[in-house]
Amino acid sequence: MTYIFLNMNLNDILQSLDCSGHFGHVVSTEEAIILHNSLLILQNENHFKEVFFWGKIYGCEKDYFVAYGYEKDILYGKVFYYSQNCIDWGLMPKATKIGFLLAPLCSTKFQGDPSLIIDILIEKDDTLVPGKRKQPELRKLKEEDRLAATVYLIMDEAGIIPRAGIFRRPDGVVINNIAFEGLKGIDAREWSSYVHFRVPTRKQNTNLLTRDDYNYATDFLDPLDIDIPEGCWMLLINQSEDVVILKNLYWPGLVFYHHLRTPKHGFVYFGHGKKCLDVPFMLSPFLV
Amino acid sequence: MIGDYDIQDAEERKMVSDTQIPAYESEFMNAKMFLQLASTNTGDNLYDHLCETLNKILAERPLNVIDFFEEYSRRIKEKRYKPQTDHLEDIYIPPSSFALANTIIPMLKPLPPGEPSTVDPADLEVADMSQNNMLQLLYYFEHCGLGLPRPEMFYIMLSMRKLIYKEPISSIRFWGRIFGTLKNYNIVECELKNEEYIKRNETYQLLQLDEVKHHDEENEELLEENRIRKALDEIARVQQFGGEGSKYPRQLPPEPKSLYEELPEPPSEPSGVGLNRMVYYVSTGIEEPWCQLPDVTPKQIRTCRQVYKSFTGNLEEPVLTYPEFPGKEKEYLRAQIARITSGTQISPLGYFTFGEEELGEGAGDEEAEEEAEEVPEPSKTAFIKNSKYEPPPLKDLLDPSMSFWVHHTPFILPQGRTTWWNPYPLPEGLGEGADEESKLGEAEEEEVDDYDLKKGRLSIEPETGPPLLTPLSEDAAVEAVPPWSVRCSSNIMDDFAIAVVRSNLWPGAYCFSTQGKLFQNIYLGFGLKYMEHNFSPMPLPPVQQEYPTGAEIMEIADPTGAEEEKWRVDHLPKPQEELPVIGEELGEGEEEEEEEMEYDD
Repeated sequence: MTYIFLNMNLNDILQSLDCSGHFGHVVSTEEAIILHNSLLILQNENHFKEVFFWGKIYGCEKDYFVAYGYEKDILYGKVFYYSQNCIDWGLMPKATKIGFLLAPLCSTKFQGDPSLIIDILIEKDDTLVPGKRKQPELRKLKEEDRLAATVYLIMDEAGIIPRAGIFRRPDGVVINNIAFEGLKGIDAREWSSYVHFRVPTRKQNTNLLTRDDYNYATDFLDPLDIDIPEGCWMLLINQSEDVVILKNLYWPGLVFYHHLRTPKHGFVYFGHGKKCLDVPFMLSPFLV
Repeated sequence: MIGDYDIQDAEERKMVSDTQIPAYESEFMNAKMFLQLASTNTGDNLYDHLCETLNKILAERPLNVIDFFEEYSRRIKEKRYKPQTDHLEDIYIPPSSFALANTIIPMLKPLPPGEPSTVDPADLEVADMSQNNMLQLLYYFEHCGLGLPRPEMFYIMLSMRKLIYKEPISSIRFWGRIFGTLKNYNIVECELKNEEYIKRNETYQLLQLDEVKHHDEENEELLEENRIRKALDEIARVQQFGGEGSKYPRQLPPEPKSLYEELPEPPSEPSGVGLNRMVYYVSTGIEEPWCQLPDVTPKQIRTCRQVYKSFTGNLEEPVLTYPEFPGKEKEYLRAQIARITSGTQISPLGYFTFGEEELGEGAGDEEAEEEAEEVPEPSKTAFIKNSKYEPPPLKDLLDPSMSFWVHHTPFILPQGRTTWWNPYPLPEGLGEGADEESKLGEAEEEEVDDYDLKKGRLSIEPETGPPLLTPLSEDAAVEAVPPWSVRCSSNIMDDFAIAVVRSNLWPGAYCFSTQGKLFQNIYLGFGLKYMEHNFSPMPLPPVQQEYPTGAEIMEIADPTGAEEEKWRVDHLPKPQEELPVIGEELGEGEEEEEEEMEYDD
């Protein structure tokens, strides 16, 4: 019987040193034990098939712990929960449209108070937020909604799994691929061996036909090599060639790990929840 | 099963007999033959494939196999593509981690016993490793939510042990890790032995002498200018006699001279002082050798603040930025380390204390003394471990005001040094605070003098920063972001809880303190400072004036015909004015004259 790992599952939490430890950040000993048990209770209460630890968003006063589970469909059926003490989990609200627009404009850090109202100043000529303004406008956003939007954005842009990690059944339901055996050393160095863990944004045909050896059941997701600019992902294979670590420059703090030749993989986020838009400056221009 | 078959068989037979299908056996053979039909592409047939797949499924008995049937089938097919007749001898492929194991094994042996010597072991001066039990630290880091994989911590400890026997190090500490796009840097912070610092500063003074030589080069530049002047005159002369134009001598305008004067560059601090007090070694992996980073210069620090660049993991990589960074990635790494160190190295209140008196041990200390003298403000540069240190209670360490934590590294001034360097020092006779760096050379001082007279040297305000061991509560918040956050590692077990301090300005910088006397700083991050708003590169400076604007280079509209005519009429010689204008020929002649007059101007 093989176990399939996605995001950080309950067993990985207890061994996070070998997973996310390559990034320097782990789930601390006490938190891991509490999370392991409280998430099991959460799973039981909600009749989830599986439950995963998503990560931690640092606030100035308090931190947020985020977890999610699914009942049936791992791609479309995710339900997010958040907590501030690892024990009491609250349902995260659905990310609103205005939350998506305003969350990236928040320049402050998370405070750690979900009911906090954040004032966001929108410049007169800001094109991101629709509507015509004669003068700068002040919009308000609850920190809880900002958290929801941020988690969704991180998941959308930086959540990844190895190719063939999930499997679409003929009836359309997406599940873990129990036949996944892990990437080989050579494949692990290819960007196209990793896919975005999100509802595909490109047409199925496009995603399939960019590969020579496509598989209808697994290759419907967007591969990583469509991300721009080239180099926004950092790929590192450790010296004993058994773990591959991927980090995203846009979301510093997100780390993906995969133990090569085993089905064990996952990603976890430890960070401030702010997107780094300075990536084009950070990369070296390629000189001929 | 067999019974089932029999029943089915019998039923079928009955059915056959009922419906009177005559040749069910040949039908069966037909179907089987169809299934066994070899594919024209691969030569496989479906019958064998189904047999194999069903065999595998029955052997493995996976859950919900119907959902994965395609996958199973595909994998069996893939396996079949392996050549059946393998005529090549199998070669042994070593496991991927073999190379690593090979390099690590020598490190895992205990150190060879040293030569028996008469020197007292205390005088051997090998750096103290007792503070660097990485596995013990890892135990605490894990409680704080930090940590590298356990084997890596062990290897780092081993290679640090190797380093202290190879290099003249008097103290060593694991500083942290900076992530690069291709490789990561493991960084250790070392203090060198005093003899080493003295040796380095001798070469430092030699470098200063080189700068004096540089002034001779400036004299050469003056000679060069004279040469150009002469050449220009020569060209003018040739043009005059070569008949290339007018017959009048025509002096070429002098070569334009740049008015831009570079501000004097503060010298870097000597080894063992200020930002260069510590020496950093980096390695990009377990088996990679430790590589010493060069000392940092103020200019590198100032440039660093204006750029935002990720690390690659290659020390020799050029850093392509605007403004131009003076150096390669190793200099950039060193400068960022200096900034991070200065901003985030903290200790619980009372752990370090200012010594009662300076221990005049070597050059480093002497220089420190000298600097202390020249700045009358209480900016002590040396502190010692407090032998009577009583750790503050956990409640105080967790106080969000952060007044029980202090900085123990000096603040970097905007100039890029920890001590202020006066760019326009007073002449030796006048001021008592003559900088030790004013030995730069007489020539420069003289040059600086006339500049000073214009600007008024007293107008330069010395830059100051907070003194050493200032509590973190004094740190300025950047746009409503408190610079530090403190957490308790445990809410359940108060007795063993650890205070964890996290820097919000340098994401990745942490410090923990146990309730005992143990504390440790560590940095695990990308080596970049937090930015409230996004980074915007420095704009290009306004275009500066190259040389004085005068009539020579002013752009003016061409005179119109009427204006020319007016000028001509105004400048007509008086007697001619009385003469009546005869014809056009005369007019032409006058125009020529006009031109000549212009040249005279």
